[in-house]
Amino acid sequence: MKDLNLTEKSHLMSDTKISAKGVQVYYGDNHAIKDVNVDIEDKTVTAFIGPSGCGKSTFLRTINRMNDTIDICRVEGDILIDGEDIYDPAVDPVQLRAKVGMVFQKPNPFPKSIYDNVAYGPKIHGLARNKAELDEIVEKSLRKAALWNEAKDRLQAPGTGLSGGQQQRLCIARAIATSPEVLLMDEPCSALDPIATAQVEELIDELRQSFSVVIVTHSMQQAARVSQKTAFFHLGNLVEFGETDKIFTNPEDPRTESYISGRIG
Amino acid sequence: MTASPKSSLLTVDARTKKRNAAEKRFKAYGIVAIAIGLMFLVVLLTSILRSGLPAFTNTVVALEATVTQEDYDAAEGQLLKTAAYEALLVAKVNEFLTAQGSTIEVDEDFITDRLVPKTGATIREFYKANPDQIGQPVTFNLPASTRISRYFEGDLLREDVTDSRFLMVEDLDVVDEMIAAGLITTAFDWNFITGTDTAVDNPGGAGIGASVIGSFFMMIVVLLLALPIGVAASIYLEEFAPKNRLTDLIEVNISNLAAVPSIVFGILGLAVFIQFAHLPQSAPLVGGLVLTLMTLPTIIISTRASLKSVPPSIRDAALGVGASKMQAVFHHVLPLAMPGILTGTIIGLAQALGETAPLLLIGMVGYVAREYPDGIISGFVDSNSAMPAQIYTWAARADTGFYEKAWGGIIVLLVFLLTMNLIAILLRRRFERRW
Ligand SMILES: Nc1ncnc2c1ncn2[C@@H]1O[C@H](COP(=O)(O)OP(=O)(O)OP(=O)(O)O)[C@@H](O)[C@H]1O
Ligand SMILES: [Mg+2]
Repeated sequence: MKDLNLTEKSHLMSDTKISAKGVQVYYGDNHAIKDVNVDIEDKTVTAFIGPSGCGKSTFLRTINRMNDTIDICRVEGDILIDGEDIYDPAVDPVQLRAKVGMVFQKPNPFPKSIYDNVAYGPKIHGLARNKAELDEIVEKSLRKAALWNEAKDRLQAPGTGLSGGQQQRLCIARAIATSPEVLLMDEPCSALDPIATAQVEELIDELRQSFSVVIVTHSMQQAARVSQKTAFFHLGNLVEFGETDKIFTNPEDPRTESYISGRIG
Repeated sequence: MTASPKSSLLTVDARTKKRNAAEKRFKAYGIVAIAIGLMFLVVLLTSILRSGLPAFTNTVVALEATVTQEDYDAAEGQLLKTAAYEALLVAKVNEFLTAQGSTIEVDEDFITDRLVPKTGATIREFYKANPDQIGQPVTFNLPASTRISRYFEGDLLREDVTDSRFLMVEDLDVVDEMIAAGLITTAFDWNFITGTDTAVDNPGGAGIGASVIGSFFMMIVVLLLALPIGVAASIYLEEFAPKNRLTDLIEVNISNLAAVPSIVFGILGLAVFIQFAHLPQSAPLVGGLVLTLMTLPTIIISTRASLKSVPPSIRDAALGVGASKMQAVFHHVLPLAMPGILTGTIIGLAQALGETAPLLLIGMVGYVAREYPDGIISGFVDSNSAMPAQIYTWAARADTGFYEKAWGGIIVLLVFLLTMNLIAILLRRRFERRW
C-alpha cells in the first residue's frame, strides 16, 4: 500500500517536464506559432511532426530560448520547465541552455578538434575537475553518440573534417556532454545513413531513461519507432497531440490523418 | 521522352557556342586587365628603383691622414677646431698632387666647400672617439659634394661647369687626378639609412634614420590605440548592440568617416591635440593620435566585415551548449574572424604609415629631424619627422641631391610596407591553421 503510494507519487512528480501555455511566436508580422498548449513529459521521447515551414523548429527553439538571438522574433505565453517559467525576467538564458541541450537541423561543429568540440560544454560549465575526468566525459559522450569507433584515433583532427553524418553525431555528443535534463533535437538524422540513424535512435531510447527528449522529424517511421508521444503541427497550430500509437493508427483530426497518409506535405 | 528534334552531343549547338564565346571574351578581358595592372606596376617599380637606388650609394673620396698627438693637441687648442683638421687634409691633397707630378695646388676652400663639405667635424669626432688611432695612418672615406659626385657619375659634364662657389672648372683637374689614382669611388651609404636630416646645403649627408624612428613611434601609438578601440567597438556593434536607429546612425557615420580626406583629420588634430590639449607640435605622439583617428574606421569596417562572415550557426552552436554571448564571441567567433581583423589592421597601419597630409598640419612636414630621440618618452613627445613627411620635405628642396634622397626614401618606405604585408600574411597563416 505504502509502496504503491510512493511510486505513484514519484510518477506524478516526474510527470510533466515542460509545459507550454498559450505560446505565440511572431517573426515580425509573421505569426509562426499560434496559441500552442502542450505538456511534455519527463523521461519520454516526444516527436514533433508536420509539413515544412509549419513551425516545428520555431517551437522547439522556444524551449531553450534560442529564439532570443533572432532580433525580429517575439515570444508570448508561458513555458514552464519543472514548474518554473523560463521566460521569467529572473531567468538567465545561459543557465537555461546548460539544462536544455540542443542539436540543430544542420550540423554545426565548432571549427576545432573533435575532442575540443565535445569538451567545450563541460569545460565552460566546470563539469570536470581534471583532464582525466574530461577525457572520460568526452569518451562517454562520443560512445553514446555512436561516433567513438570512428573518432577515437583522430580526436585531435578538426571536427569540420568529418562527413556530414559524423558531424551530426559529433553535435549530438557535444549536446549530451553537458548532461542536460532536456534534449531538443531538430531533425538529427536528416543527414545520416540508415545504420547511423539506427544508432542515434538507439541512443535516443537510452537517453529517455534519464531525460526528456524532444525530436523533430520528417520521417513518420522514425517518429513511430522512437517516440511515445507525438505532436502534429500545421501552419503554426498544434493540431493534435497524444500517444504516438494513437496518432498513427487512429488520429482524431482529419488534417493529421491526411498528413500521415501523405496527402498534405 | 522529349518532343524536340534529336540533337547530337558531338555537335555544339548555337546557344552553347554563344555562351562559350562570351566566356572566352570575358577571360580575355580579365587577362588584359591584369596585364595592364602588371605593366603599371613594373613601370612604377623600375622608375622608383632607378631614381631611388643612387640614394643608397654615395661618392666617397678616400683621403689618408696621419694625425700625430701634437697635431691633435694643436687643433684642439684652436678656436676653430674643425678648420685645423681640414688644413691637415689640404696638405695631404697637395702632397698627393705633387707625387702625381701635377703642378696644381689646392686651398682650404676647395677641400671644405667644393670637394668634401663639412669634413673637419667628421675627422675630429673620429679622433675623439678613437684616441688610440692618433699617430697611426688612417684612411677617411669622406662623402664628396653633390657636384663632384655627379661629375664622377657622368651626370655633370666638364663643358657645363661654370666657375661658382660650389665648383671651379680647374677643380676638375684635381678630381681627374684623384679618379685616375682610384681615390674617388662609389660606396654603399649607410648614413642614408642610419643618419639624420641635414641642412639644405648638404644633401649628401642626409639620412632617413631619424624619421624612420619617428614613424615607428607613431605606428606604436596607432597600434596601441586603434587596434583595441577598433576591435572592441566592432565586437560591440556587431555582436551586442541592439539594432536600432542610433546604431544605424553610428554605422553610417563610421562608413562616412572612412571616406573623409586625411587632411581633415590633420586639421582636427591641430585644433584638438595641439591648440586645445597643448600637446607638443611635430611630436610622433600627436601624429599617432591623428593617424589613429584616421585608421579607426578602416579597422572597424574590416573587423565588422570579418565578424559578419563567421557563420551564425557557430554562434548558435556555442549558445546551444550554454555558452554566454561573450564566451561565444571570444571562444569561437573572434578566432575565426582573426585573420580578417589582422589583415584589416595591417592595411590600416600601412595606410597610416604612408600618410603625409595630416602630418603637414601638425608640423611634422618641414621639421628638420637632425637628432635621434634620447629615449622612449622623448621618442613620443619630442619633435621628429616621419618617413612620408621626410620624403615630402626632401622633394620640396631645390638641390637635386635631395630629390634623389626623396626617391631613396620612397624605397625605404616601400620596404617597410612590404614587410608589414609579409607580417600580415604570416599571421594569417598562423591563425588559419587553427581552422
Ligand atoms: N529567422 C527567421 N526569421 C523570419 N522568419 C522565420 C525565421 N525562422 C523561421 N521563420 C518562419 O517561421 C515559419 C516556421 O519556420 P520553422 O523553421 O519553424 O519551420 P519548420 O517546421 O521547422 O520547417 P522545416 O521542417 O522545413 O524545418 C516559417 O514560415 C518560416 O518562414
Ligand atoms: Mg525546421
